[in-house]
Amino acid sequence: MTFRLTCPVCGKRDVYEFTFGGQERGPRPEQQGLSAEEHFRWTQFRLIPNEPQEEWWYHGQGCGVWFKTTRDPGTNREVE
Amino acid sequence: MSWLRPRRLWHPAPLKRHYEVVIIGGGIHGLATAYYLARTHGIRDVAVLESHYIGFGGSGRNTAIVRANQRTAENVRLYDEGLKLWAVLTDELDFNLMFFNCGTLNLAHSEAAMNGCRMLASTHNLLGVKSEVLDPQQCAEVIPGLDVSDRLAFPIHGGLFHPPGGIVRHDAVVWGLAKGASAHGVHIHQGCDVQGIDTRDGRVTGVRTSQGAIGCKRLGIMAGGYGSAVAAMLGIELPIHPLTIQAMVTHPLKPFLHHVFSSGAYHVYANQTLKGEIATGAHMDPQVNYTTDATAYYLKHQAEALAELMPALRGVRFMRIWSGLADMTPDMAPIMEGELGYEGLYLDAGWGYFGFKSGPVAGKYMAEYMSTGERPDILRAFQLKRFLENRYSGETASVMKYGHWD
Ligand SMILES: Cc1cc2nc3c(=O)[nH]c(=O)nc-3n(C[C@H](O)[C@H](O)[C@H](O)COP(=O)(O)OP(=O)(O)OC[C@H]3O[C@@H](n4cnc5c(N)ncnc54)[C@H](O)[C@@H]3O)c2cc1C
Ligand SMILES: [Zn+2]
Repeated sequence: MTFRLTCPVCGKRDVYEFTFGGQERGPRPEQQGLSAEEHFRWTQFRLIPNEPQEEWWYHGQGCGVWFKTTRDPGTNREVE
Repeated sequence: MSWLRPRRLWHPAPLKRHYEVVIIGGGIHGLATAYYLARTHGIRDVAVLESHYIGFGGSGRNTAIVRANQRTAENVRLYDEGLKLWAVLTDELDFNLMFFNCGTLNLAHSEAAMNGCRMLASTHNLLGVKSEVLDPQQCAEVIPGLDVSDRLAFPIHGGLFHPPGGIVRHDAVVWGLAKGASAHGVHIHQGCDVQGIDTRDGRVTGVRTSQGAIGCKRLGIMAGGYGSAVAAMLGIELPIHPLTIQAMVTHPLKPFLHHVFSSGAYHVYANQTLKGEIATGAHMDPQVNYTTDATAYYLKHQAEALAELMPALRGVRFMRIWSGLADMTPDMAPIMEGELGYEGLYLDAGWGYFGFKSGPVAGKYMAEYMSTGERPDILRAFQLKRFLENRYSGETASVMKYGHWD
């Protein structure tokens, strides 16, 4: 089953119009003094529990806006 | 009339409150590890905990393609040993795994991809694995339905033929390993969902499940695509993205496709099952998720790709579509690790869409690792810390890639 996401501009649209932008993870760590290991941990390592997460999406085949939404990876659906 | 009575392959066992080893996940990796722990290492006090039923995960959903034509020496060695295990296991488990040794053909749609094939063939030949580069005419001889004309959007420049590959019946592997593990004393508990992991003083002490707490000295996370969710119970971050990958079958046709073929450019691979269906797949949804959602979007894409590469398939109908998880790592190689910050904790994950062909061999070495506490040499290349040291395996430099992931 495909599902829909809510674009803040266009409203509910089919997920295949969007590009997944990954988890919202707060600000990027300060480059100053960042060790190589910390850098790789930041770029590649993730905690992905089976519960809703805030994430980024890009409405590439629509209005072109980047936005955040909360989606449950266990159901694929957006949650309030 | 004893032959009339149904015979069970394996028997449910009472759930004990403590085991020497607990394994999370009743797929082929978990079952194979349990089997080898009991059979080879004499550790029989083992429980496999499965939240649904054995084979619920990728092990019962994959397209069953087995091969050893990886890119790097470390990976080729592991997969080659894995490929040779099917015959050994068929005998050892006394169960027909239905290995159809038909060979695989990976198509190249550019000169760059042809060079990739040449590099792969020489790597394989150097390591004693059979592979050869074919030109378009030879591709058409191997797979007669293939359109090798220049009508295609991405014409076929040739391909890599790998005779030792083929397909193995995935359900049979799950059942055969369950049979073998159970016969050596392993307890398999279905409907037992692990919801938490307990530790004390830096050691694993057990798991909390839908059927109560179960203690253990050693714990293996072998939950396939759910591995990142299980690791998250301990706050362990991993370089793994769980994504759904979709597969589908057509109605049965008379035998005409005698090899597995695949195309990275068209995002498709296909083979004809022994029943006659064309089994095909490759598509992955880009957002991390733990579902088994399949979509009409990919049904359409798959039909278009297959009908272009193999015009004779136009008008053939798809009968079923399904999906399962592929746990993708940044370098397309797995993580087999016993140094995760907790003594007694082991992880076997990140197999992406390569975890069926490698299931038994991964189980063999994870069992050795878990029983001795010493990392077997062959697993050195698959440590978690490679991602923190910027020492990725070179697997992504291969033509055997199907998704936007790569
Ligand atoms: C459509 C598709 C096609 C594929 N094609 C191929 C192919 O052609 N060749 C190939 O080599 N590989 C292929 N793969 C990949 C392969 O199927 C997997 O890598 C492999 O099956 C992983 O096996 P596993 O035993 O590690 O995990 P799984 O078979 O996924 O088993 C993990 C088990 O853990 C259980 N579990 C999860 N969480 C918990 C919990 N909290 N508590 C208890 N139990 C839990 C699940 O229910 C599941 O049964 C494909 C995968 C898919 C989905
Ligand atoms: Zn929009």
